[in-house]
Amino acid sequence: MAEYDLTRTIIPYLDRHLVFPLLTHLHENGLFAPEQVAAAQYELAKGTNMVDYIVSLYEQLNPDSEVPEEFAAKREKAVAINEQLQQEAQAVLDVIENPDVAQALRQDKNQNLTYLKDNYGLTLEQITALYNFGKFQYTYGNYSGAADYLYHFRVLSTDTDLNTSAHWGKLASDILTGKWDVALEELNTLRETLDARAGSTPLASSATPSHAEPLATLHSRAWLVHWSLFVYFNHPAGRTLLLETFLAPAYLYTIQSAAPWVLRYVAVAAVLSRRVQAGNAAAAAPISSRVRHAIREVVKVVQLEEYQYSDPVTKFLKELYVEFDFEAAQRELQLAERVVGNDFFLSEIREEFLDNARYLISEAYCRIHQRIDIADLSARLNLSPDEGEKWIVNLIRDTRMAADAKIDLEKNVIEIHRPALPIYQSVIEKTRGLSIRTQAVGAALSRTGQQQLAQPVQEQSAIVEGAR
Amino acid sequence: MSRFFRQAADSDSESSDSEESLLSSDEDESQSKPAAPAKPAMSRFLRTAHTSDSSTSDSESEDEDDDESEDDGVAHKESKPKSRFLRDSDEEESDEEVKRVVKSARDKRLEEMEATGRAIDNALKINDWITISSEYDKMTRMVQRQQNFAEPVPPFYIRTLISLETALNMALAKEKEAKKKMNASNARALTAMKQRVRKTVKEYEKEIRQYNERLNNEYATLAVPQAQGKPEVARRSVAAEGEDEEDFTRVGKGGKATQYTSEGIYKTLQAIQEARGKKNTDRADQIRILERLLDVAVTPYQRIRVLLALVSSRFDYNASIASYMPTEMWLSAQREIDCLIGILVENDSYSVQEITDDYDDLIERTPEGEKDGVVRLRGSIVSFVDRLDDEFTRSLQHMDPHGTEYMDRLKDEKGLYCTICRAETLYEKKHLHEPLARVVTRRLEHIYSKPDVVLTALESAVAAANVPISLSLASQASPSALIHTLCVHLYKSGNSVLRTRAMLSHIYHHALQNDFYTARDMLLMSHLQETVYSMDVGTQILYNRTVVQLGLCAFRSGLIKEAQSTLQDIFATQRVKELLAQGVHQPRFQTLTPEQEKAEKHRQLPFHMHINTELLEAAFLVSSMLVEIPMLASIDLEEQKRKAISKPFRRLLDFADRQVFTGPPESTRDHIMQASKALQHGQWEQCRDLIQDIKIWSLMPEVTSVKEMLAKRIQEEGLRTYLFTFAPHYKTLSLLFLERTFSLDRRAVNSIVSRMIWAEELPASLDQSAGVIVFHRVELSRPQQLAQILAEKVGAMVEQNEKALDVRLGGATVWGDRADGLKGDKRGEQAQERRRGRGERRGGVSARGARGGRGARFAQGLGSQMTKTR
Repeated sequence: MAEYDLTRTIIPYLDRHLVFPLLTHLHENGLFAPEQVAAAQYELAKGTNMVDYIVSLYEQLNPDSEVPEEFAAKREKAVAINEQLQQEAQAVLDVIENPDVAQALRQDKNQNLTYLKDNYGLTLEQITALYNFGKFQYTYGNYSGAADYLYHFRVLSTDTDLNTSAHWGKLASDILTGKWDVALEELNTLRETLDARAGSTPLASSATPSHAEPLATLHSRAWLVHWSLFVYFNHPAGRTLLLETFLAPAYLYTIQSAAPWVLRYVAVAAVLSRRVQAGNAAAAAPISSRVRHAIREVVKVVQLEEYQYSDPVTKFLKELYVEFDFEAAQRELQLAERVVGNDFFLSEIREEFLDNARYLISEAYCRIHQRIDIADLSARLNLSPDEGEKWIVNLIRDTRMAADAKIDLEKNVIEIHRPALPIYQSVIEKTRGLSIRTQAVGAALSRTGQQQLAQPVQEQSAIVEGAR
Repeated sequence: MSRFFRQAADSDSESSDSEESLLSSDEDESQSKPAAPAKPAMSRFLRTAHTSDSSTSDSESEDEDDDESEDDGVAHKESKPKSRFLRDSDEEESDEEVKRVVKSARDKRLEEMEATGRAIDNALKINDWITISSEYDKMTRMVQRQQNFAEPVPPFYIRTLISLETALNMALAKEKEAKKKMNASNARALTAMKQRVRKTVKEYEKEIRQYNERLNNEYATLAVPQAQGKPEVARRSVAAEGEDEEDFTRVGKGGKATQYTSEGIYKTLQAIQEARGKKNTDRADQIRILERLLDVAVTPYQRIRVLLALVSSRFDYNASIASYMPTEMWLSAQREIDCLIGILVENDSYSVQEITDDYDDLIERTPEGEKDGVVRLRGSIVSFVDRLDDEFTRSLQHMDPHGTEYMDRLKDEKGLYCTICRAETLYEKKHLHEPLARVVTRRLEHIYSKPDVVLTALESAVAAANVPISLSLASQASPSALIHTLCVHLYKSGNSVLRTRAMLSHIYHHALQNDFYTARDMLLMSHLQETVYSMDVGTQILYNRTVVQLGLCAFRSGLIKEAQSTLQDIFATQRVKELLAQGVHQPRFQTLTPEQEKAEKHRQLPFHMHINTELLEAAFLVSSMLVEIPMLASIDLEEQKRKAISKPFRRLLDFADRQVFTGPPESTRDHIMQASKALQHGQWEQCRDLIQDIKIWSLMPEVTSVKEMLAKRIQEEGLRTYLFTFAPHYKTLSLLFLERTFSLDRRAVNSIVSRMIWAEELPASLDQSAGVIVFHRVELSRPQQLAQILAEKVGAMVEQNEKALDVRLGGATVWGDRADGLKGDKRGEQAQERRRGRGERRGGVSARGARGGRGARFAQGLGSQMTKTR
């Protein structure tokens, strides 16, 4: 199974601290030799300021030898820097925590800065101390503290580069402290910042495109994709959001060109999206078309990128929806189940995945076949005949097939009678939404007429989204 | 004797000599200026002196001796005082000829001409003007031929002209005195001759004058030195003569240094440079002078200077764009560039740059004399290399690609490639990035379209020539790696045109290596589709070639749909050859101006780089067949049938349908059309045989695998077509029967049928226990059908509206997010864009692709309406 493990591929796209949980997971699932993993952990930790942790790892690795001196020195140095940075930061913090100041602060950062400077003598350099201290705290593992300081910094600072950097730091801190709601929020703002930056330099307009710009965008998006996996697979609504984000053209391109292995997670999320739909349909929460057709989209991409990346999960989708080879799909599913179980992000949702995958198989099977042998279907689903029967009954009850499918226990078959879609219904289906779409066009047109293309972008897309 | 003849001859000489006469008239003007002739005259003398020394070929000189003695005899009898000069000049000139003679055919021509000359002389003696006239005609023709071969007019001809002129004058004078002596026809011939000779003399005025001048000079040498008006010339010629007489050896063994001091070299160089580009300069002559200067040049500085001048005058030699540089000339230019690069590589202290400080042309410069120890000279090696390469291409364009000459010429590519590599090392050493990038592009362009074997051969030639190049095949693992490194080098360069070309060449190479996915991804990521139509024509051609090669690559890899959609664009224009620069397009309604035609011809690719269009067409049509036939079978409404995926294919198919009688297939198209029909009727075996019989497949490198792939595709598509076509006639259909009929295994049949059911292409379902397909077909009534069509149309209209809005807002991504981010769709859009771009470029609305084109036009129409309403 080790060949399907993505840890190694993913690590280059992660922050040093984010890798720790991955390695711990590897340690637990035993795919690799424990010594190797421990060694990797030690190497990883050496780059941080978490001296105590390093020492404990060292002792674990070399139980017999003495702990080298350098760690003590490093520790002292770290503490000293900490002191110093804290003092610097404290000065700023004192000012900010003053309730008067908090009240006086406005939305406009420049104004805030002048206000702080005039009244309290705070300069930009001093504010940068917040950033430095937050960053340092992060290096020795005080993530929540880091998150706080970085947050404050970001509110005040006008330096875009450092701000983005603080964004990343805050996101990492939130992820590591496990505050998924906050992390999700952070992730969204970060994504917007990145997109805005990419959008400000459109490819078409720059006659002499500097190589660095699109490449930088690609890199940061690839990073974001990897980091967001932490959030999406831990946040309750994460999978839907994952599909929403990753199937957006910009991120889909990123995945296709820079990180095709992420397709595994997209595929899993797509498989899982069925349940989400069922749950959400009752709550009448709006699901974008992207999520609704997630499977179809993902299958297309999987097919396109097959030459670059394939693993049991993607192969499962391909066998099922491209080749319609149910036996092969079944085989791949077995493998995929283990892969999912071993994956750091997916191990929690193995059962769910299996359930949904089975459902997908049986749905496809039922749609294509008219008369199905229950025993045969059970074998397809890797279930015993009894279990299979129960499963199928549930399936029929749950879904819209209820009207069409009947179980004939005597012959032990399911009969599916799918009446052809009445013609009027297909016409309705086709013309549905036409008027709304037309209205959207009209609205967009009149808006451009009024605003002379001032800022049509966001509003129109909002309209279209609303129309849908 | 005939006015006809005369006229014919006249017009002949006129037409062929028109250029010459232009030249000579110009020369008249310039000769009237006093300063100009002095220098060339001097150098001319020097030259003749040396050539007569250096001519060593015994047999030829013997030949001439014979001729001379005969000539002598004649001349002596005719007019005593002239004879010496005649012989003398004859000797000189023929020597000169000997020096230049390379082919024996040329000797023969000269001999022939001399024979004619003798005949004229003889006829003169007996006053037979009829014979003279006919012989003269012959001679003129020969001279013309001579000129056609780009050889100079032989002096011998001039001499005959002069003697004819004098004889004519004499004869006319006699005529006046004694009218009765001549018969009528003879007299007519005499007058005709008079006119003709007068005309020709006018044309060759310059040569005649030069000739006379030389005679005069020789007079001067013989007679008292200060004799005639031009003391300077006379003195120099004495010097030349004196040297000539003194001995041969002294000149040969470097005694020239005494005469050609370094100062002398620079003076001559300057003179040549001043004369350069003027109409009356004899380019061949200049080259000869420079060649000899090169022999005397000693210091590197001198050699570089002379080489720079020599190479540029070699390129000047052929002024017209219509023809190409003679091969020998090209070869020596190549050698000289090599030599020049060699000198520069060896001597670090010399550098040739396009922009330098001003320096005195007339003094010797050494590294020690310069500030930073580097002598900088004005010149550009990279443009020499460029020019050399261009001339090579041009010569290939002009040759018959099926002749041996072409093959021989192609062999020179090795040398050229070596030269390019040498230049690369030079620039690498000097760290000049801009010219280095240009040279690397040249190198890349020589290898990108070549199969590995040829590439390896070229590289080994470079290795054999001992070029110490850093990026050689030996240092890289494979040819692809070499191309990769070259391209990466170019990507880093600042020049965006070179970058684009490198990108396209890289993609082309990937496609050639059957690496479809990499090539496609690179093409899509480069975003060239959007910008290519604003680029220069050469890049557009390269782009077209790349796209076509990508299509072929997809075809070879069995990706039929991709192949079809890639090749579609270029075939929809119906001008494949033109777009690939493999043939000139003849527009139907207007004619091209000569300039356009010339430009068009100029950019044609040499034959060895062509992509076989017949193979291309076969690949396109076969993939269209595999895509289109099942689609045709799947739709049963007349209305929808008009929509075609591939218009060219559909047109052919309709044409084939209308044929009353079909014979056995002959052309590739016939094969494919009959195969399509067989496929339509479900006879996949026949279809397969027909397709596999196409002969042109043998041009593909992997014939057998391609054929197997095609057979498999035909089986599958045959099954699909069969199901589509005959589904209405069945209620159930056994899977076993399908397996047997299409000799596919169970899994494949199941997979295909399931896919069709899933995609709702086939209203049916599988009954697993009975192993049959059960069809649920619903017949639609007419109103129902119409309602459905209507609904579809309304949907399409809304879509068009949205597209129109997209266009108005500029860019598909701005408004809403309907671009669902799939490469396939993206390509469709881009292809459409490209097609539009091409239409604009050619300045006419060409046949646009089916839906895209209509959509675009529709969108444009709407756009204008919207602007009106606002």
